[in-house]
Amino acid sequence: MTLALGSGALGWVSVAALAALGLLGAVAVAWPLLASGDADELAGREEAPEHVRAREDLSRSLTALREIAFDHACGNLSDEDFSRLDTTERATAVRLMRQIDAFDAKTGEAA
Amino acid sequence: MAIFGRSALLLAFVAAAVGICLALGAHSRRSRSWQASAERAVYATFAFTTLAVGTLWAGLLGDHFELRNVADYSNRALPTRFKFSALWGSQAGSLLLWCWILSIFAALAVWLNRRRNRELMPIVVAILMGVAIFFTGVLSFVTSPFETLASTPADGTGLNPLLQNPYMVIHPPLLYLGYVGLSVPFAFAMAALVTRRVDTQWIVAVRRWTILSWLFLGSGILLGSRWAYEELGWGGYWAWDPVENAALMPWLVATAFLHSVMVQERRGMLKVWNMSLVTLTFSLSLFGTFLTRSGLLSSIHAFGQSTLGPYFLGLIIVVAGGAIGLIISRLSSLRSEHGLESFVSREGIFLFNNLLLVGLAAIVFFGTMYPVFTEATVNRKIAVGPSYFEQLAVPIGVALLILTGVGPLVAWRKASLAQLRRRFVAPLVVAVVGGALLILTPAWDHWVAGLVFTAGIFVVACVTGEFIRGTQTRHRLGGVSWPGALIQLVSRNRRRFGGYIVHLGVVLVFVALAGSKSFAKETDLALLPGESADAIGYTFVNECLPAGVTPPAGQPNPCPRVSNANERSVVLRLGVFKDGKRVVTLTPGRRIYVVSQQPSTEVGLSSTPARDYYAVLNEMIPGKAAKLSVFINPLVMWLWLSGLLIVFGGLVAAWPTRRATRLARAAEPSGTQVA
Repeated sequence: MTLALGSGALGWVSVAALAALGLLGAVAVAWPLLASGDADELAGREEAPEHVRAREDLSRSLTALREIAFDHACGNLSDEDFSRLDTTERATAVRLMRQIDAFDAKTGEAA
Repeated sequence: MAIFGRSALLLAFVAAAVGICLALGAHSRRSRSWQASAERAVYATFAFTTLAVGTLWAGLLGDHFELRNVADYSNRALPTRFKFSALWGSQAGSLLLWCWILSIFAALAVWLNRRRNRELMPIVVAILMGVAIFFTGVLSFVTSPFETLASTPADGTGLNPLLQNPYMVIHPPLLYLGYVGLSVPFAFAMAALVTRRVDTQWIVAVRRWTILSWLFLGSGILLGSRWAYEELGWGGYWAWDPVENAALMPWLVATAFLHSVMVQERRGMLKVWNMSLVTLTFSLSLFGTFLTRSGLLSSIHAFGQSTLGPYFLGLIIVVAGGAIGLIISRLSSLRSEHGLESFVSREGIFLFNNLLLVGLAAIVFFGTMYPVFTEATVNRKIAVGPSYFEQLAVPIGVALLILTGVGPLVAWRKASLAQLRRRFVAPLVVAVVGGALLILTPAWDHWVAGLVFTAGIFVVACVTGEFIRGTQTRHRLGGVSWPGALIQLVSRNRRRFGGYIVHLGVVLVFVALAGSKSFAKETDLALLPGESADAIGYTFVNECLPAGVTPPAGQPNPCPRVSNANERSVVLRLGVFKDGKRVVTLTPGRRIYVVSQQPSTEVGLSSTPARDYYAVLNEMIPGKAAKLSVFINPLVMWLWLSGLLIVFGGLVAAWPTRRATRLARAAEPSGTQVA
């Protein structure tokens, strides 16, 4: 550590080493561009926004159902409240599942 | 060494610039190979920044005084751990640390998302590399950490004595981990806007980043307070100083964001609000760095001031302006999927909590910037005192504390009266009884403290009630032991119960703040050796030997004077007695650093769960009475312990569940990598 890397030949050796590293970095960065094949499309979701929204709503609905059941088991919800909330949420979940099935069927036909 | 360091930074700058171009190309061409190249440029930026940091550390540890940063912030006698932390003692060094952490986080974000969120990643990379360009550019062309001196001095001037403290080894990196970590959620939010993927995908992607950044920032603030408490010697830990406030503001807004994202996840609401909060959080974290580094406001925490202010201001304007423009252009996609059905609902409580947190951040911002506003209007800097902040922060804080207990118990969508009764009767009864029992203690001597303690009891009752009921249910349904049921309860819903543990930590913070602010006592003493004085309910004795008297054989001097190459110090032994019994012995001292000739106060501190005994030696001249300030600060220990509880709860909340990992893996599209 007591070597004065900034002065004399050793300093320039270290800078040359860094230049070599820089060159290596440039090659590594450029390599995927040089080696890219035919399948170069960036992966992404092809779903329509309303399809994505329905899936998210279903996920929320299922989470809510789990939470309602657990809160009822803990005694945080009365039987009456549980029955009301559970029925509403189940109906929402079923509606969303049907909607997603319809989307999936449409996507399948298009494919 | 200077050429090597400068070249490494320049290479990092070039790599970041190339990364931006490639990432934007990947976005516009939807090209995997361009994106793979952009991500490799991110790794290259990280590698070259790491080389630059390593070079500066080598310079500091190897006493390379030809570097201005080494000569100005280190010296040969400086202990190794402080040579290590001297890297962030200087302005250029601390910006290098910022830049290095950013490059680490950018590389980590790319690596963790190498198979997921692929359509967001080009913009994420472009934004993170954009910020990296700013910092590597400033470090390469404006203020270099590798600036050299015309002639190399034999020794350096040493590190500021106030920074020669173990907390300063860890506090700045933690704070910067928090500040910089918040750039990742911002980058994902902007990527979601640019790609029009404004569903919950970006929120899921940044959930853990946000929690961990929030934890880092909170821990950094707490350790900074601990440093101020031990090192500055004024008897307190929080002075509403501009730099303290600068860290508090993004933390408050990040806290609001952590809560409001849950509303978007569960109800598809508050999308514009969440985008605004994430922008505000990152802008405030840049503002925090700007405030510390610009010299705009004087601070006890600012150790290097410069003319970098305009550059930071420019960056903040670009970041905030660009984000606001993008949010406005995407307003139609950001419409809420559901409306607020009732204010008495979880989302209603979260909304109220958000308004209070952002309101508090606005109050802190206004108070902090008041001298700048007055200078611009009446040509004179007028600062608001701590009373401004405390008068406004206390009622908001108490309301937030109560909401900490209320929020988790109120149902989503709409809470019925029966539900509220079922969940709140027991905690309210416990709080009322607890509050009444507090009359037996001095708690209600200050009504704010009494109110905070009672609210704290209410929150603890709410949270422990959730744990008890949940554990009972798991025990009953799962047929497992009680400890097993508790572990199962927490591990199956880490986010919820981790959050509850954080809420318990928040109660401790409030209890410590209320106790130490309301019941602190202080006195000034002047004591000759052997002399005693009665004050603030205690007897204080100067237990030093009179001048010329030597200690008996085999016994050490109770008040030793130390002199070595780095420092000269003196210590006073102060006996603290209550009703004739020794309570504690304090050893406050004063130290002068040889090279800089700067004096430093060494606080005499003894902490117990009930109170801290805290003494500051103001003057000690042989033959004269030693002048001291003594403080009795109740409940301060709980502030530091609360940090441990909050970090533990935060880690529980951020820890990935097996189900989440499985879902993330299932969501990974195959063949997304270019070999």
